[in-house]
Amino acid sequence: MPLGPSSSAIYLQNTSSSVNAAPGRTPTAVTIHPVALFSILDHYLRRTDAQERVIGTLLGTRTDTEIEVRSSFAVLHSETSEQVAVDMEYHRSMYELHHKVNPKEIIVGWYSTGSNLNTYSALIQNFYSQETAPHQAIHVALDTGVEDGKSAGVKAYVSSPIGIFPKPENCVFVPIPCELRFHEAERSGLDLLTSTASLPSSESPLQPASDLEIFDQSLQSVQDMLDRVLGYVQKVLAGEVEGDRAVGRYLMDTLGASTDDIEKGGFNTSLQDTLMISYLANLVRSQAEISSRLALTAAS
Amino acid sequence: MAATSMAAALAASLPAPQAAPAPAAPTYEAIPASMSKAIDIEAEIPLTCVQLDGLVVTKILKHSREAPSTTAHGLLLGLDLDGILEVSNSFPLPHHNNDDDDKSAKSIARYQASMLRSLKEVQGDDNVVGFYQATTLGAFFNQTLVDTQAIHQERLRHGGIVIVHDLSQTARGNASFRAFKLTPAFMDAYKKANFSASSLISHRLTFSSILEEVPLKIRTNPLLSSFLGAMAAPSTSSLTGVHPKSATTSALPPSFSVLDLGNTGLTRNLEQIAEAIDSYRTEEGNVAYHSRQIAREKLRADTYVAKRKEENASRVAQGLNPLPEEDISRLFKIPPEPSRLESMLLLGQVDAFAKSLESNASAGLVKMYAARASSGI
Repeated sequence: MPLGPSSSAIYLQNTSSSVNAAPGRTPTAVTIHPVALFSILDHYLRRTDAQERVIGTLLGTRTDTEIEVRSSFAVLHSETSEQVAVDMEYHRSMYELHHKVNPKEIIVGWYSTGSNLNTYSALIQNFYSQETAPHQAIHVALDTGVEDGKSAGVKAYVSSPIGIFPKPENCVFVPIPCELRFHEAERSGLDLLTSTASLPSSESPLQPASDLEIFDQSLQSVQDMLDRVLGYVQKVLAGEVEGDRAVGRYLMDTLGASTDDIEKGGFNTSLQDTLMISYLANLVRSQAEISSRLALTAAS
Repeated sequence: MAATSMAAALAASLPAPQAAPAPAAPTYEAIPASMSKAIDIEAEIPLTCVQLDGLVVTKILKHSREAPSTTAHGLLLGLDLDGILEVSNSFPLPHHNNDDDDKSAKSIARYQASMLRSLKEVQGDDNVVGFYQATTLGAFFNQTLVDTQAIHQERLRHGGIVIVHDLSQTARGNASFRAFKLTPAFMDAYKKANFSASSLISHRLTFSSILEEVPLKIRTNPLLSSFLGAMAAPSTSSLTGVHPKSATTSALPPSFSVLDLGNTGLTRNLEQIAEAIDSYRTEEGNVAYHSRQIAREKLRADTYVAKRKEENASRVAQGLNPLPEEDISRLFKIPPEPSRLESMLLLGQVDAFAKSLESNASAGLVKMYAARASSGI
């Protein structure tokens, strides 16, 4: 699940170790948890007028080659034409606070908004490399899509020194692939957000929605997809579009799904079980209700 | 009182809520006339709705799933505006182990204070409005929740709210967030620390009237909405002739886990109902034992009093001075009436488990019929 518009960038893996290469391999992939992204967006919304971009620390876990960004927090910084300053004390104390709740998450790099990589980025990158030493720090640039001509997206970079005499203010940011990752159980939460995001804020439905409503929405979207597929198939049959064999095979596999289980009497057994459970649940509930009422009358 | 000082502090900070996610609150120096009705310094407008920011939704989701036990909890930060409580940020609280209660309570308080200070430095909201709690299968009634909320309700503006997040329902494809506050009747009984049968009757308390639900809405700010839209939109690969599976990609492909027919978790649910009923029975046994003890002591006291009266009457008839009336309460220790709070909470748990079982079963029923209809039997 790549983030942002697809690019034709080829991800280079430089295995040849450079002069001051850190031990441990260069990360080759980055995955980001939604909560980290949303925190960055929130931080961007809350920036002061003077700030052009905001930066912060990324926390997560790392394996040999992959970095999983799991959360992030904002860090104060100031940029002028002459200098850049990062509030390191704040960064440290905030990290300690986060560490108390999530001891597994360590500093893996930093984020900034906007896709402008400049000398200051290199300097900040240098600072974070010291924080993550001996591993390499990653940099995640999040384009909010607010500025003209730029679409929203996320890019991840690792840095490598450049020049004959490596200086902290010079470095090459090498792009590495970056994906969104979350646990399957959290999926419904994101669905909830995407569904409210598409509605105007005044119309957002009251929570929690019932199971059946969610089921209904899901069926509706399946129906829309079926309609699209049907339209495509009819076009192919009418000779308007040339059919794609691969698509045809996929359709065959998907729509030919077997329903043997239901047909072979499994339906009735399952139905009886479900009804039984439903009956039991109702019985328990009414017993509980009666019991609580009895407690009110017993003494009088 | 804390409430007024907090209101005063809020009033002082009101002229610059430029960072607040309130769409209706632009940057201003003084409260304009149009806003004077919406901003209540004295917290007079009652809460009608809780508005949960997208960021908070994901934060709670992540914390609840990752927490070592099911007791993930944290603080909610935000502002209230015109009866709507806007929850704009949250942070998790460290999991405390019970072995060192006093020390851990202190360290949590320290953690909380420094976290709030840090958030304020980066223009985050630092006004505590309540807390959140993760649960499984809808059973969130427990002593800790009630205690914490009772403390909050006394200290916070508008009493604060508790947001309950149901992990198991979220795993089934329906992310569930509900907002609650304690009812005035329960607060009254709680303040008097009196949960005897008579107090329950006079407050008309059952498990369903401990908490009242506050309507809850999810809000995503425009930036987040557009970002989500960009992520969910499928993007076509720039290469030609690629496999259909990888031709279009999206960071958030549609998911259909809701349509799964399997009734997973029903067994676990049933087990938990049985467990809750067992502990309820034990608790009821305790209460009954206490009640019998009380009845026995009372009977003994009554017979003693009756005997003394009889004796006195006969002494008077014989022309002697009656024996002095003695303090019965000093002679017979009548134990205090047992608190029924625990059993009430357990009953609430039983009910919640049964409710989630029922809704699970009925949803399964609908899905089964739908599957049968579509397979054309």
